[in-house]
Formats: sequence, C-alpha cells, structure tokens
Amino acid sequence: MSASSSGGPLAALSDDLAAAVDTVGRSVVAIHARRRIPASGVVWQPGVIVAAHHTIQRDDDITVTLHDGSTASATLAGRDPSTDLAVLRLATGAGASGPGAPAAAAAEGAPRVGQLVLALGRPGTAVTASLGIVSAVGGEWRTWQGGTIDRFIRLDLNVYDGFSGGPLVDAGGRVIGINTSGLARATALTVPAGTVARVAGQLLARGHVARGWLGIATQPVRLPAALQRSLGLEADGGLVVVNVEPDSPADRGGLLIGDILVALDGQAVRDPGDVLAALGGDRIGKAVTLKVARGGRAEQVGVTVGERPRARR
Amino acid sequence: MPAADSLLRGALRAESVLGVETALGEVAERLARVTVQVRFGGRSAGAGVVWLRTGVVVTNAHVATGPGAEVVLPDGRVLSARVSARDPGRDLALLAVPAEDLEPALRSDARGLRAGELVVALGHPLGVAYATALGVVHRVPTGARGPAGWLHADIRLAPGNSGGPLADTAGRVVGINAMIVGGLGIAVPSHVVEAFVRAVADARHGGARAA
Repeated sequence: MSASSSGGPLAALSDDLAAAVDTVGRSVVAIHARRRIPASGVVWQPGVIVAAHHTIQRDDDITVTLHDGSTASATLAGRDPSTDLAVLRLATGAGASGPGAPAAAAAEGAPRVGQLVLALGRPGTAVTASLGIVSAVGGEWRTWQGGTIDRFIRLDLNVYDGFSGGPLVDAGGRVIGINTSGLARATALTVPAGTVARVAGQLLARGHVARGWLGIATQPVRLPAALQRSLGLEADGGLVVVNVEPDSPADRGGLLIGDILVALDGQAVRDPGDVLAALGGDRIGKAVTLKVARGGRAEQVGVTVGERPRARR
Repeated sequence: MPAADSLLRGALRAESVLGVETALGEVAERLARVTVQVRFGGRSAGAGVVWLRTGVVVTNAHVATGPGAEVVLPDGRVLSARVSARDPGRDLALLAVPAEDLEPALRSDARGLRAGELVVALGHPLGVAYATALGVVHRVPTGARGPAGWLHADIRLAPGNSGGPLADTAGRVVGINAMIVGGLGIAVPSHVVEAFVRAVADARHGGARAA
C-alpha cells in the first residue's frame, strides 16, 4: 500500500517533522552522569557537547552515547548553574568526524507563538521526539539564580524524563535552543541558542561564567516621602544592606549594614535583581559609584567590582 | 493596516492549515470504519480494530478479560463475540465476531516509522466514542523485548483508547494502543500483531500449538 507516498498536506507535514528529527537527531547524544535514566545533550561544535547542568550530577566518569550507538568518555569543561548549562569535551578524537556533526545553525529572530516545534532527546540509545507549539515568547529575563537568558521561550509540549539538555527544533530542522526542566517548576523552558553560544564560549575559555560581585545582601525598602524629598530622589524605594561579607569589595569600599542603596552608577535600584543586572562579567575590576542613604544623608561610596566566588555545590 | 503581501501570506498559511485539517479528518474517517467498541454487560471496556474481513478483531488482553464480549461495529450493529486468543504478555487478544463482510484495517509495519512522524489515534477515551488524537512517533520499536519492543507515541490518550488503532498519516494502522506510561502512549507494534494473528491461525488450521 503506497497511499502515503501520494502525499497530501498531512503526509508532507509528517515527512518534514520526521526529516527534522533525523537531521538534528544525529547531533543529539545521551549523557550518563547521574543515576537512573541518562539525560540528553547536543553536539555544539565538533567534540564539544552542551548539556543541562542539573543533569550532570558527577564531575568525573562521564560517558556519552553518540547517535551511531558508540560510546565515548567525556570531561566536564565547565558548568553554569545560573543558566542551567554545562559543557562537556569528548575524549580526543571521539565524534570529531561524521557521527555527531554539529547541529544546524540557530534560527534567526525570535520564535513565534503558535509555531510548531519538536523537542528531541536521547534518554538511551534511540532518539525520541515530542511535538508541540511555542506557547509564550518574551524578552530577556533573569533566572532565580541570577543568570541572564536572552529570550523567554515557554513551550506547550510534553517534556519526558531525560529530555533536559536536548534541542528544541523548528519544522525546518533548525535548533532554536536547549530545553531544560531545571529553570522553572512544572514547565519546559528553552534556553535560546544565542545564550547557549555565549555561555558555552565562556565555559570553554574559563571553565565557569565570571560574574561581578560586591559582597552584599540587600532587601527592598520603601523610603519615607520626607527622606525621598530631602535626598532629591525620584524613586520611593531602595535596598537596605542587611549583610556585608568581610573583606568583600563592598567591605573594602566602606559600605555598612543599614545603608540604603538607592542608585548604582546613577541608575536607580529598587530590587536586588537590579544590582545583579549591573554586575555582569565585564564589570569585574571596574569602579562603580554607589549612592546610599546613611543616617538621613546621601553619601557616595566608590567600590571596585570583584569576581563572584565560584558556586559552592 | 497590514500590507497586501502579508495579507496574502496569511491567506496562504490558512490554506495549508486547512489542508492538514481536511487530511486529518479523512484519516479519522478511514480509521472509524475499522474501529469497534468492545463492551461487557453494556459497559464500554475499550476499542478494537478489524484485522480480517472474516470477523477477526484485535484488542488488548486487558480489555478482553472474559470468555466473550459485545462488539459494536461502526455501522451500529451489536454482535456478541468470542475471545478466541489471548496473550497477556503482549497485551493482545483476538475477538471472533460472527460476520464475514467487515472492512479490515490497512496496515503498515511500525518498524518503518521515523521519530517525529505524525500519528493519529482513534478510540473511546473516557467513554467519548470515536475521539481522535494527533501526536508524533516518540520512539520507533527496534527490538523484541523491553521498552524497545513497543511503539512509543507523544500523544494524549486516556482509558478507552485501549485496543484502538494508532495510525500513520495515510490511515494505515501501525499499532494497537495499550497503555499510558509517564504521559506517553504505548502501542503494540503492527508487526507483533500480524505475527500473533498468524500464529493463532496456524495453530487452528494445522492443529499444532506453539510450545
């Protein structure tokens, strides 16, 4: 019976979806770095694999199953808990040619709400797929661990065990990003390819993603109208400093517990996230000016941004 | 006001969606002609697929638990059926229906599927007769035992889909829906069903029994 080869729009769509899985599936690997079922990863460059940080539960004794069923050992090049990404290097030679070729280039522009997408995984030897749509797209956002994700991509799609670290693929077989269940509760999110490339580059170069650090803990407070007026502030809120790490950049700069931080380099801060956003890796070693309310008066405190100590796991 | 060319593109897109929907409707209709309801004492137990013109209907062993059942044909006829064979390990059972004029299902070997290919399920989920679901092949059956011996589909099924068809975009049955595991639809691959039907027929005609 060759009814399906005669085509029709449903068969054509089906063929396109299966072709997309076949094309990108060659770059999808299984990663054995935890108990129970393996997780997924994507060959990002020859010999380099991107995975979800939360699925890499050990730093040594990591093996990878490639699309042809062969197994290679891999070493952890680095991990960034803030974006839930990790990068592995395959043992010399493994996957360098043919099998596990790089995934197709990232789709340009933002995915559209309603667009058909496939999530691919390899939680074992066989590639697996699920189909859904992009349910929401937003701008840059910050994860609860302070990582910056270039674009918010939420999926209406079933993400099964072992899918984290696998790619989100459009109907043309282009990789939109890496899926993970590690950045939000009870929903699948996609880390866009642009963010993956940026983080993977830093992990390959340094083994970690460097972030700026002041060494303070803060809490939002509302400023009394009188104080707001006397200090000439536009915003009615600031951040009260509740901890200053000994010998941290803030400590050396003279910041005190009880200071109310109202601006950083002239930018008003009202949420701890505003401070995190101003402390990208590019600020390390540079001076910033903190405007604080101290004892009812405005003070300027100069601080040299340090590098955030490596994450304790 | 959108430009004329973007309006045109919108119209073309709508047409392609219409084509997919129409084709999906045709697949559902084709499957409905070969899908039955299996009942016990007037209560729906699941679905079944007409496999042979001579009154052989395939369902799940967990649907056909007794010696007999009622089969409601797509044309509304209600016939009493005998459970002629069961394989609980494969979750398959054959129902012998007193009819010689049934339209049998078109079939295709599940081992020829590709992950990502569209599949359609028909059944009576939660008692809703002849409901259609669309999904994709999650994992192609590659082996004889364990998870690799089943056809996994990313598709929304419910109790009542059991024993019903999972088909490709041409309406050819590639599996018999059997269970839901972790949200995935798990089906008995068509080649396993073919082998089962053949083995039962051979045993009957030759008088031989598989050891």
